[in-house]
Amino acid sequence: MPAAPPIDPQAIASAEYTERPVREGVTTKRVICASCDIACNVVAEVQKERVTRIRSSDNPIFRDNICMKGIIAPKGFANPTRLMKPLKRVGERGSGEWEEVSWDDAIADIGDRLKAIIAKHGPEAWAVSTSQWNTGTDHGLGRRIMNHIGTPNYISGVALCAGNTAAVSRYTYGWFPMGDFANTKCIVLMGHNPRRHSWTPMYNFIRSAQAKGAKLIVMDPRKSSSAERADIWLPLKVGSDVAMMFGWLKVIIDEELYDKDFVANWTIGFEELKERVDEFPLDRVAKLTGCNPDMIAKAARMYATEGPSIIPWTPITDMQRNSTSGIRLQGILRSICGYVDAPGGERLEGFNPDIINESVIEMHEAISEEQKAKQLGSENHPAFTYRGQDMFREPTKRVYGQEYANLVMGCHMATPSATFRAMAGEGPYPVKAFFFLGNNPMMSYANMKLIIKAMMNQDLIVAHEQFMTPSAQLADYILPADSWLERPWMMDTFSWTSTVRFSEKSMEPPGACKSTFEFWKLIAGALDRPELVPWDTIDDLYDWRLASTGKSFAQMCAETEIHFKPAEYYRYKKVGFATPTGKVELKSTGLEALGFDPLPYFREDPPVDPQYPLMLFTGVREDGFFQTGHRHIPEMRKRHPDPLAFVSPGTAKAQGLAEGEWVEVSNQLAKISIKVAIKEAMPDGLVRVPHGWWKPEMEQGAGRLSGALKYADAQLCRDDPDYLDREQGIPHLKGVPCRIDKVAGSTLEPGAEEATIGATPKAKEPAE
Amino acid sequence: MSGPSAFKASLLLKMVAKSSRNQSLLDKFCRWLVNREVERSPEEDFMRDEIVDNDLGFDPDELSAYQSGRLET
Repeated sequence: MPAAPPIDPQAIASAEYTERPVREGVTTKRVICASCDIACNVVAEVQKERVTRIRSSDNPIFRDNICMKGIIAPKGFANPTRLMKPLKRVGERGSGEWEEVSWDDAIADIGDRLKAIIAKHGPEAWAVSTSQWNTGTDHGLGRRIMNHIGTPNYISGVALCAGNTAAVSRYTYGWFPMGDFANTKCIVLMGHNPRRHSWTPMYNFIRSAQAKGAKLIVMDPRKSSSAERADIWLPLKVGSDVAMMFGWLKVIIDEELYDKDFVANWTIGFEELKERVDEFPLDRVAKLTGCNPDMIAKAARMYATEGPSIIPWTPITDMQRNSTSGIRLQGILRSICGYVDAPGGERLEGFNPDIINESVIEMHEAISEEQKAKQLGSENHPAFTYRGQDMFREPTKRVYGQEYANLVMGCHMATPSATFRAMAGEGPYPVKAFFFLGNNPMMSYANMKLIIKAMMNQDLIVAHEQFMTPSAQLADYILPADSWLERPWMMDTFSWTSTVRFSEKSMEPPGACKSTFEFWKLIAGALDRPELVPWDTIDDLYDWRLASTGKSFAQMCAETEIHFKPAEYYRYKKVGFATPTGKVELKSTGLEALGFDPLPYFREDPPVDPQYPLMLFTGVREDGFFQTGHRHIPEMRKRHPDPLAFVSPGTAKAQGLAEGEWVEVSNQLAKISIKVAIKEAMPDGLVRVPHGWWKPEMEQGAGRLSGALKYADAQLCRDDPDYLDREQGIPHLKGVPCRIDKVAGSTLEPGAEEATIGATPKAKEPAE
Repeated sequence: MSGPSAFKASLLLKMVAKSSRNQSLLDKFCRWLVNREVERSPEEDFMRDEIVDNDLGFDPDELSAYQSGRLET
């Protein structure tokens, strides 16, 4: 899910520019866009006390860092369907019967009911799901309250998107690295495809690096737009990333292209790794990946010899049954080639020393070891839970100055599937209260059917939301949330990098909308713990966090867009790595202690059921939407009126499919309705399905859920053992057997003629 | 393939290789030439979008009317 833009603080600090002139009656604010998770610095133009335009920053460093989702934000948040007042459920759960209530009444009742649940079942009966990157102003306050109350059951979409990479990266080198785009000579994209309207800064940085001569290697089953620009494109089989990386290591080790000094002095387990790598000769890797062995070798040599190289974080590796091994192999490649903490390589930045970071605010020391041990999923899949991450407390204190580093919020989570099973009454103990903030959990994790069952089994569900999402439709209370236009923000990239950026509040929130800060402050009060959020306003919280700089938040906003510590490379030579051994662990002592294979390994696909001969790739992002959001915005829906399944011309012919035809894509779990889009860029046998589809205009309530039951890809996402990563318990979303069935009758969905107003996609366009 | 076509193909491959290397002046010239040939025109570039290219912002009164349901789109 989240991504930090690879900004170069030094370049920004030295950038000189003047702000563009504005028209009479227009004022400007320097803000950070939160319409997706990449956080672009942009400018808000304000007229008559409301934001009327979002445009790119005047700072040339941020030039062109803007996309359609940011530009449409003033209208998107002004949508008449936006929730403006707290709503209380008055009918059966999911009946769609609500009454408007005041915040005071809502919070008082929520507090009473939550306290009763905790008294009856224990604090662990309260689970929270957030996507802090979107809510923005949580700043660890949710975890802080949860830790003091005593529940470890926090889940987030980052469990399968960056947060898990951060947690698993610690097993290799103790921190989550960020690529040094400004100085790199070679970039490797693993299935990831930053583009003009999706991950825009990353796209701009890759283009900029290429213009300066950097090589681009793309591993992707389809010929993406990044693949079109690549020096080498490896069209690997979906889900075979780990086998490909073993192939690269085979070449790099056999040909002695690695950094021998670094390996000798700063790693453990090289010989054992070499033995494991020897199990992957190139002819085997070629069979597993479907790629030409010469091209595999050429790419490996390019990565190892034309560096410093970077492998930017990719969500694709996060969402596979071999995710832990994949993330570890990326770390191993970076390490043995000598790119870790090197200029142009992968920086381990650590905390910004001048601000109080969110891991401190969260106060993980406040929850008892007994309660930590109850964290759901930690017994079988401990990698990112308290149990798995506990071993990094001492090394992190030694290297980075504090015990807890909740990098990208992903280092002390419960596992989502285990949490939903407990909520559904199938776990070790009951979970009966569920809060979600800035998050549409029903559609954001695997096995949507289980999640609905889990939600229907709750005594209390509280949503903090901007719109009536399918998940919110099953809540007891929906509390209206503000937007990034309507609140200040201090963005520390959740300690992934040491840069801190500042975003001004541009307008007042409409109606009774409140920030996540206010939400948690009220909840703390309702739980009789007001001292947990002692700051009166979010600005007070920011001033407290910035106190050691000698400046207030308002002063920072006025003076700069970014606060950073100067880049420091090769820091490990002074303090070692934040691993149990102080070295890069090619063979992980941590995973070994947890009972897992300490070396990376490759689990092949289970036998294919002939009933499901195609392979499904879920989680595809469309330019106009972020995750499950933005479906309510007419301009975005005009660009993406319906969900589209991408297939190759060969697959379309074999299945008898026509462009624009409605079909059903199904597997053993469920089926979804979707339209066919034939793309020459797609390989045969693969079906790409977009993420998070629902239609706000469709009927609400249980049994309908605004089309989520018809379209949402989460219904097809499996969480049975063959489709879970062993160490993390996260689902395999890249290569799940499926089938496509034609729907009898018209190629148009009944009653959907008016909705299908978008232009027909062109087969020659990349399958984005 | 032989004759002029083979020569052209060979020349193009060399130019693309130099373009990819992008180190010497000749490399950079080849890169400029190759980019000029393969770059999509704005009309054909599916990654462009009128929302970005023609953005002038919104009218505050129209936004207020839209928010209150008095304006359709």
